[in-house]
Amino acid sequence: MIEVKGLCKGFDGRQVLHDVDAVFGTGRCNMIIGKSGSGKTVLLKNLIGLFSPDEGDILYDGESLVAMDEKQRKLLHQNIGVLFQGSALYDFATVLENVMFPMDFFTDWSYDEKLERARFCLDRVNITGSDGKYPSELSGGMQKRVGIARAIALSPRYLFCDEPNSGLDPYTSILIDKLISEITVEFGMTTVINTHDMNSMLEIGDHICFINEGTVEWTGDRHSILSTTCEPLKEFICANTLARNIMEGQGR
Amino acid sequence: MIRTAIEKVGEYFLFLCKVFRRPEKTRLYWKQFILETDKLIISSILIVAVISVFIGGVLVIQTASNLENPFIDKMYVGYMVRESLILEFCSTMVALILAGKMGSNIASELGSMRITEQIDAMDMMGVNSASFLVQPKILAATILSPLLMLLSFVLGLIGGYVVVEFTGIIRTASYIEGIEFSYKGFFVFYSCFKTALFCFIISSISAFEGYYARGGSLGVGRSSTRAIVTSSILILMFDLIVTEVMLY
Repeated sequence: MIEVKGLCKGFDGRQVLHDVDAVFGTGRCNMIIGKSGSGKTVLLKNLIGLFSPDEGDILYDGESLVAMDEKQRKLLHQNIGVLFQGSALYDFATVLENVMFPMDFFTDWSYDEKLERARFCLDRVNITGSDGKYPSELSGGMQKRVGIARAIALSPRYLFCDEPNSGLDPYTSILIDKLISEITVEFGMTTVINTHDMNSMLEIGDHICFINEGTVEWTGDRHSILSTTCEPLKEFICANTLARNIMEGQGR
Repeated sequence: MIRTAIEKVGEYFLFLCKVFRRPEKTRLYWKQFILETDKLIISSILIVAVISVFIGGVLVIQTASNLENPFIDKMYVGYMVRESLILEFCSTMVALILAGKMGSNIASELGSMRITEQIDAMDMMGVNSASFLVQPKILAATILSPLLMLLSFVLGLIGGYVVVEFTGIIRTASYIEGIEFSYKGFFVFYSCFKTALFCFIISSISAFEGYYARGGSLGVGRSSTRAIVTSSILILMFDLIVTEVMLY
């Protein structure tokens, strides 16, 4: 479980996050949603330690990220898998080498053991026969799946996904969403997904945290979101035709 | 402006501290070292070779046409070409050429990795990205560049020889006598040292610029340009300092 307590973050005198409180539970897909520029990426980067909070704290299963020294942070990072918006696969490495990369650094496994684990992760995300390909030879959806395979290579306790569906067609988006949801339950991870994709939210959002202008305005799940009374959230949801139709249907 | 410059220098040295931390897995660093050697040194052989051969030939023609005094032995053409090559051309000129080739390669590669979040992905895994990505580049460039300098020296002399042989501008025997005349082994060491220092400057400055690139593809372009300009200026500055310290 990850807890965010009174988190504040600003840049060059401009406050981006104001007193953010949130709880992201284990074994479910936690979503951070909000308009572009609302501060959700900044929140995610604070959560994974790429930014340091100006005020407040982030607790990983009760352990303060802010109070951790470099060694403790390094150990924590080995338990974190991240799927970046652009997949962030290493251009200099093949698909197989990308998935084996964290194992090369943090395990003393033999090559065969690493190969077995990498093949398992790639099979899990339905990538076969592409071991020797370079990221530039893969489609966007395949890159995302390889990114997920790399993120789960060391069986992390926490998985963070930054806009996992950006640039993907609706069909591939659903596949990626389902895959993330399945592996979250299968590996018992705390998954935090940063998105503004309404379909994802309605499909796999077990716990949703709506951020507006740097503050958490609403929390709930995918079942309660369509009956929200929070005006900024309603406005955000109604930008999506499908969700708007459902809401209007409920209203009738 | 002065404050910004001082801050930048401070950031550069902090970056170097991060780069030269003890490698987490020596085997992986060794593999990267081999890859970087191929990318930075082996791939530079052709351009260094071509330039060296032509410059050697040009130096022979220019020196011979300026030594018209009949009291000066033509042997001095070979001597002056050798000294020009070893003292300045093979280290400084080659370094300036490498600043363009190697510098843009390093800065654009790291800059692209930065803007596509590949460096963030490495940091997130707990890998010291600066050390893993940059240390092998700096070591490959610094340790192996003197070999490029020696190659450039030999090919420059050969270029001169070819011109002498085919144009007959001076006698071949005089050229060879000049090359062998008053040989100082220290000059070779001095030139090797300068080349290694210059390539350290090129690789570290370019890596620094690329590693902290921001602002999308335009930012990568800007960081490459800054890397080449800064490296070139520093090469000339340190050329003067090292020459003053080692030869005066």
